[in-house]
Amino acid sequence: MNKNGAKGARNAAANAALLVFCLMYLSPIYIIVVNSFKSRAEMYTNVLALPQTLTWEYYAGAVQRMDFINVFKNSLIVTLCSVAVIVVLCSMTAWMLVRTRTRLSRFLYSFLIVTMLIPFQTVMMPLMQEMNSLTKALGIPMKNSLGGLVFMYAGFGAGMGVFLFHGFVKSSVPVSLEEAAIIDGCNIWQVFWRIVFPILKPTTVTVIILDVIWIWNDYLLPSLTLTSNANKTIPVMTSLFFGTYTIEWNMAMAALTMTIIPVIIFYFSAQKHIIKGIMAGAVKG
Amino acid sequence: MKRMKTLTCIVLALSLLLGLGLAGAQAESAGKIVVFQQKTEIYDQLVELAKTYQEETGVEVEVWPIAGDDYYQNLKTYMASESGPTVFTLNSASEIAEMSGYLADLSDLDVMGKVQENLIAMVDGKKTGVPMTAEGFGIIYNKDLVDPEAISTMDGLIAYIQEQKAAGLTGLGLSQEGYFLIGQILNFPFAVQDDPVAFCQQVFSGEVKLADVPEFQEFAKLFVAIRENQVNPLEVTYDGNCGDFATGKTAAIHQGNWCYTMFSTYDIDFEMGMVGLPVGGSTAIAVGIPSYWFVNADASEEEQQLGKDFLDWLYTSETGVDYLMNKFGFLPVVDGMTSEKLDPISASVADAIASGNIIDWTFNTEWPASVIMNDLVPVAEEFFTTEMTEADFLTALNDAFVTAAAE
Amino acid sequence: MSMKKRWFALFTVPLFFVFIVVVIIPFLSGVYYSFVSWDGLPKNPMKFVGFANYAKAFADTRFLNSLERTTVFTLITMVTVNVLALGFALVVTSKLRLRNVGRVMIFMPYLIGGLLLGYIWQFILGDCMATLGEMTGRTDLFFYWLSNKQFAFIGLIVVATWQMAGYMMVIYIAGLQSISDDVMEAANVDGASYWQALFRIRLPLLMPSITICLFLTLSNCFKIYDVNLALTGGGPANATEMVSMNIFNEIFAKSNYGYGQAKAIVFFIIVGVITMFQVRLTSRREVEV
Repeated sequence: MNKNGAKGARNAAANAALLVFCLMYLSPIYIIVVNSFKSRAEMYTNVLALPQTLTWEYYAGAVQRMDFINVFKNSLIVTLCSVAVIVVLCSMTAWMLVRTRTRLSRFLYSFLIVTMLIPFQTVMMPLMQEMNSLTKALGIPMKNSLGGLVFMYAGFGAGMGVFLFHGFVKSSVPVSLEEAAIIDGCNIWQVFWRIVFPILKPTTVTVIILDVIWIWNDYLLPSLTLTSNANKTIPVMTSLFFGTYTIEWNMAMAALTMTIIPVIIFYFSAQKHIIKGIMAGAVKG
Repeated sequence: MKRMKTLTCIVLALSLLLGLGLAGAQAESAGKIVVFQQKTEIYDQLVELAKTYQEETGVEVEVWPIAGDDYYQNLKTYMASESGPTVFTLNSASEIAEMSGYLADLSDLDVMGKVQENLIAMVDGKKTGVPMTAEGFGIIYNKDLVDPEAISTMDGLIAYIQEQKAAGLTGLGLSQEGYFLIGQILNFPFAVQDDPVAFCQQVFSGEVKLADVPEFQEFAKLFVAIRENQVNPLEVTYDGNCGDFATGKTAAIHQGNWCYTMFSTYDIDFEMGMVGLPVGGSTAIAVGIPSYWFVNADASEEEQQLGKDFLDWLYTSETGVDYLMNKFGFLPVVDGMTSEKLDPISASVADAIASGNIIDWTFNTEWPASVIMNDLVPVAEEFFTTEMTEADFLTALNDAFVTAAAE
Repeated sequence: MSMKKRWFALFTVPLFFVFIVVVIIPFLSGVYYSFVSWDGLPKNPMKFVGFANYAKAFADTRFLNSLERTTVFTLITMVTVNVLALGFALVVTSKLRLRNVGRVMIFMPYLIGGLLLGYIWQFILGDCMATLGEMTGRTDLFFYWLSNKQFAFIGLIVVATWQMAGYMMVIYIAGLQSISDDVMEAANVDGASYWQALFRIRLPLLMPSITICLFLTLSNCFKIYDVNLALTGGGPANATEMVSMNIFNEIFAKSNYGYGQAKAIVFFIIVGVITMFQVRLTSRREVEV
């Protein structure tokens, strides 16, 4: 009894310590949020204190200066479309590569994987020039358009997507099911979308999560492709907001808070999947 | 299973449609130009002007956000990828030379006939750049706290900085941005030389060592005094520097007349004035053309024409001139343009121009391309974060110029 | 047969088309550009210079310094991230009631992109630290970190650690959960203490996860750019300029396009060697499991 009591107390202390630690760990986020409500004078008297009054003034300012609604919409469109395209194209390719046991398919697979090593810095400038020439030659705007950006993300996301789907198809999709479907009169297209794709769901979730986190936060690629204000995504606009001479920290922090909120909502609504997805993706990373 | 398939089809179709639709929606609308320029101070006003212009002429003007010190780098990236703005600004002779292939001939603009020849940017004998405004920089001081006579010599200025420290104030505020940290203030010892152009060449070629020149020795002494007696300029932003001056925490700052708009959010209850940095016995204010407007020669013929029309409108129409004088706070550079209500700092600059007690902007006209951001800023940052001596500081600056000139 | 080929093409060609256009063609032209001298402006002349750019890169002290700095940064961050992540993983897989809360909160920073993280910490390590110093009088520890070369570098390590630890923690959790309860029970019966069980049994069984995490941190740290840009911008006096930023600046700020491209190829080779090593080790791990 006594021993249990001591153990209980120690447990409570450990829990408390964990909680305190976590709160400290997230204190930077706390600092950003509280200071987004303070005037400059108030901010510099005590950065850690809670705001004396709740004013939305700086949020309104940031929304207006950053054109937040439009920028948010752009980020959302780019992220959703890119992820959809990546999932569709990669799952199809990966399945076909696994099921076709030829030298060509083995070569294509290794080709994709090896070229994943290319760092973005190596291709950034030539890519921009190629996109310009494509725009000129075909009349399809590849630069400064969200569609063009989606196209590029599909290319950069290909290696990892195929890798994850490939591994899953190989280990967990039974050929017997597909054969049965063929006997029932399905063609290859139907087999894939009716039988295989639903089985791939765990990997699809993993790919979606990893790519959403990547694309939503990506800065360099959109900063190089998107020139006009109307097309900019959240990270690009944030950097412009900070790049100008005048950092008005309270407004900047309101902007940061607003950009973090959607990510937090996404996290809490799909928390279990995210952790699982990361674990599954971890093997590759 | 069926639902899954339908869902997939919808997602696929949607993403394809969106992709195509977005691509299509980007098509050029008739009558639109893009303006990209470096002046933070006039950004909001320029956006407002763009709306007015569209109302008056129907031509849409998109103003790209400013990128501060990264402006030129961004501009080059846009140009390199052949997606540059229609109208843009360049600051220095070296930038103009590098970009010369992209500068349309503006000789036929009305405004060009109303500007003094020597204020126009020329490339191969063609008039290509419209001067934006004239500006002056120097020490902007609070008349309640500073006696301009006392800081008219370098020794006096240094003694003053020490006094201000004792009083708990910042003597001469600098800030972390490249031009404000080192670029502009370093112009003084160059520009007060008898023949600044020849002197610059001698420095860049290694013939003259900065450490041997008395004006530079004075300058280095000043920088040591700043390092020892003030908050580290690397920790101060432009915004903060102006704010501290406006609220009386800083008695004087090294800035130009453009910064007056930064004071608008404060209630200023003191008078201010401007004097030049006292080196080599001169207290002249540095006055120059900060930037020129250009039209992108890479744009389509129609777009170029729209850009030219915009510049003409800006400098010759009633509305345009009203914006330049009253909303941007520019000093007049075009004949017949007058400004009735100059802010006190611009008035000091205008007085200096009238009296002829001014020196040139060698950093725009003579210095090698990008030397400030790429070479001088690291030296200044090194100086403010270490115990670097005056002699080492001058040697490092000297090397920075020689390296940049050789590239 | 030909039917089969047509299906194969239908399923794979779209992806490979995109991939080749976006990655392979730019990569090959990038290799070509590394042999020219050019400022990147299409209207200005381009000159073929052979291997001169590469020779220049290996004599460029600023580039070599940034490589060395990136290596030091990477090694230190690998240690801090993994020690922290493993510690977190052990705590949140224990029987503590708040373990799930901990798991959720510690992972959170990973979701905020590098750029935003950099800006958040720029405020904290700059103005916020300075204000704390004024308040507490402890100006030896609380001062404007970002204007001090050593502390700006340390700041970069702190931020990178803060960002990555949660992610690595999740991988360690997966590893810890795959260790069967029987093993731990056997250890308990044998009277092993917590620490003995940890060092003699759990850590050795966790080696595969440790390998993955080490290499993940390695390649992430080596390629760091966003945090670098937003937190310090490479300053003060280039003291925190990492390789990625050096390459970017060479191409875009100094407009030495060919030269910067040569540096980028050198960078690619280094990253390639590191990652090959990683893939080899991870695939060996897959066999083991």
